[in-house]
Amino acid sequence: MSNGLERMHPFVLFLYYVAVGVLAMYFNHPLFLGVGCIVLILVNLTHDNGKALKKWIPMLSVMCAVIILVNPFINSRGTHIFFYFRGKQVTLEATLYGAVLSMSLVLILLMFISFNLILNGNKFLFVFSRFLPRTAFLTMLAIRFVPLLNRRLDEIADVQRVKGLSIKTGTIRQRAKSGMVILQVLLTWSLEEAIETSDSMKARGYGIGKRSPYIPYRLARQEVGWLVTLAVLLLICLVGGLLGYGKIIIYPQLGTLQLYPIDWIVFISMLVIMAFPLLIEGRELLKWNYSLWKTSHSNSRTRT
Amino acid sequence: MELLAMENVSFEFPDENVKVLQNIDMHVSEGEFVVLCGASGCGKTTLLRLLKKELAPVGKRTGEIRYGGKAMDKWDDRTLVEEIGLVSQDPDNQIVMDEVMQEIVFGMENLAYSNFEMRKRVAEMVHFFGMENLLQTKPSELSGGQKQMLNLLSVLLLKPKVLLLDEPTSQLDPIAAKELIMMLERLNKEMGMTIILVEHRLEELFAVADHIVMMEAGQIIYEGMSRELVHSLYMTEDERFIPYIPSVSRMYMEFDQMPVASQVPLNVKEARGWLSTQSAQLSSGHVHESTTEKRQANPLLAVKDVYFRYGKKDKFILKSFSLQIRQGEFFALVGGNGSGKTTALKACIGSLRPQRGNITFEGKEITKLKGLDLAGKVAYLPQNPRTYFVQDTIGKEMEDAVQRYGVVNGGNRITEVLESFGISNLRERHPYDCSGGEIQKAALACMLLGNPEMLFIDEPTKGLDPISKQRFAEIIAELHKQGITIMMVTHDIEFAAQNAERCAMMFDGEITVDGTPGQLFKGNYFYTTALNRATRQSSVGEVLTLEEARILWRNPIVI
Repeated sequence: MSNGLERMHPFVLFLYYVAVGVLAMYFNHPLFLGVGCIVLILVNLTHDNGKALKKWIPMLSVMCAVIILVNPFINSRGTHIFFYFRGKQVTLEATLYGAVLSMSLVLILLMFISFNLILNGNKFLFVFSRFLPRTAFLTMLAIRFVPLLNRRLDEIADVQRVKGLSIKTGTIRQRAKSGMVILQVLLTWSLEEAIETSDSMKARGYGIGKRSPYIPYRLARQEVGWLVTLAVLLLICLVGGLLGYGKIIIYPQLGTLQLYPIDWIVFISMLVIMAFPLLIEGRELLKWNYSLWKTSHSNSRTRT
Repeated sequence: MELLAMENVSFEFPDENVKVLQNIDMHVSEGEFVVLCGASGCGKTTLLRLLKKELAPVGKRTGEIRYGGKAMDKWDDRTLVEEIGLVSQDPDNQIVMDEVMQEIVFGMENLAYSNFEMRKRVAEMVHFFGMENLLQTKPSELSGGQKQMLNLLSVLLLKPKVLLLDEPTSQLDPIAAKELIMMLERLNKEMGMTIILVEHRLEELFAVADHIVMMEAGQIIYEGMSRELVHSLYMTEDERFIPYIPSVSRMYMEFDQMPVASQVPLNVKEARGWLSTQSAQLSSGHVHESTTEKRQANPLLAVKDVYFRYGKKDKFILKSFSLQIRQGEFFALVGGNGSGKTTALKACIGSLRPQRGNITFEGKEITKLKGLDLAGKVAYLPQNPRTYFVQDTIGKEMEDAVQRYGVVNGGNRITEVLESFGISNLRERHPYDCSGGEIQKAALACMLLGNPEMLFIDEPTKGLDPISKQRFAEIIAELHKQGITIMMVTHDIEFAAQNAERCAMMFDGEITVDGTPGQLFKGNYFYTTALNRATRQSSVGEVLTLEEARILWRNPIVI
């Protein structure tokens, strides 16, 4: 699954996800959010044909349904009244608010699904090590220990089970006691082993002075271009939003949903930001197909 | 040119009166390959650590240690970190980061190299190690051998002049160990790196080393070039160190009429050369085929057509794995890394539930045996016996076991077992303060209190020095004589060939061949002992072990 987006510099990716997250909470025009959701679904499809997305679909739909259905019944603000339910008014405003809220949440969740696939593990830590170098380093150390401890725990459980101590048999009291014993062995053993780890760190000069991070990624010129583009578009969206574009008034009374020319500018900026992965992937695809076509073309020409 | 020197160095730990090192004199010149050996606890690790300033043990040190003609303390920390690198025993514990690439550059990051320098060194050395396609993997996905190579690589990126290694192959299987040693040989020969290696497994190292140092009780007892050392050890008949000598050299020293130091073979090729000149003197009169009588006892453990895989989509690790072990047998399962032998053992002790097939112990399904039903009949000695101990001292652990198994007259029984194992002195010791050989014996002693019918052993020879290995073999043989059924999983072919009655080879999830050690290992290219490789197709008759040679060949020299 090594696609064009994954090869991007983590900074560009990080800016993209930050922008999507911010905009998802910033705008509340149904068109903006609706289109945003569709684009992000397409983005997720390009990653892995929607495998990760599929797992989330039930949860996403249940969440949307609950918010859209429940909000109008517990919230009776607004002036366009549909009907009364147990003496409370059910309004158009509250219904629309529920829809907007759920779309905004779906958008953010879709962003995180994609984030998880693209900016995973070490790339994420790399971004963080710029801001919080020590925390990132500690996180790395901790993550490293998880599989190690897991394996040791299995080993201890095997040995102690044959010895007669198991957390799977006996009364609850006995099980709890065996569990404690196993954890205690794990702790003493791991502490003992950790001495060797710290020796290995010292032996390679840890703590001798300030560390300089190795930067495995290089910002290509094209990536700098993307960074600037994304930043400028985000700025347009933010400024537009400040002036009220891309936003609608819901409470106390629903305003107009009509879009003005500047609304369209803001909308297109947002669309380009959100569709950034699609542009990258599309470009890769085009280049690939074009080069294939070119080579096959030239091959056939040389053959004749 | 002399690079490292120890002059009259003695060392003792703060609260102990015993000197760990006594009047050590050692000189290492540039580009030398030095091998340090000796029983565990002889002070070799302390010696090695004194050479690495950051890790030097705390205690009282007298005498002088010089590096590059200047006292070790006069050097600044940074230079010493760069110029003296250390790789230690356990491949897992030395890895700090969660990605191979991050781990590789860890040392360079600490020393704040520029990105230009880091990239240059990484590109060069990663290529030399052939690790390009592992860069993005997590260390937990690597094999033991790959992990140790990664540790070595990470140290080498600091461009050390001296490389110190503390039993780097003790946790590896023979193939990975061989690869590591070949890499060290290359570093030494092609780059002129000075190497000081502490090791127990010396079969290949005698041929590689320029200089061998043998230690006991904190003193250097012998040192010299490999061949002369072998010769002089036999001349002085020093039983303490003879087990360290490679078997092909031992064969020469024991069977040659007039052994000469310069002629001592150190590898299979040289041994074959010597054997071809010996046919007249050594030809064995009769080829003695030992036919073991078929045992009629009932099968104790029966494994039938077992299939196992960890996840739904993983590939099967055990495939139609079948096995029968009869009462009183000593069975060894050998096989390469990833052949599934450890998984097979885990299935046999009921830690894993196979997806297909069944495993029965005395006719009952093993996974159904629980608590004391299982503990009273089966004992399992893991690779790392530390996992067995729960109490502070070995004595308390044994009392615990007595209570658990309901042994009558427990106190006497404990003393009896401790004495028969020769470890009475360990009774008040914390399990973590014991050496590998000691803790193994202690764990075994605790298990025997329960009078188990069957003993499962996982890689018992990992990290043991040759003497401890011999003692362990004796203990196991004694238990076997007492009627305990034993199943052992190992990749130490020498050990399996010497001790087991029946061996089987595991390959691709099933047992491919099954027979006596002789049937199984004779004539193999790789999966056999060094001695067998030397004697195969020679006119003197094929042997697996030195003991066999002593029985089979005529006129051994009595030493």
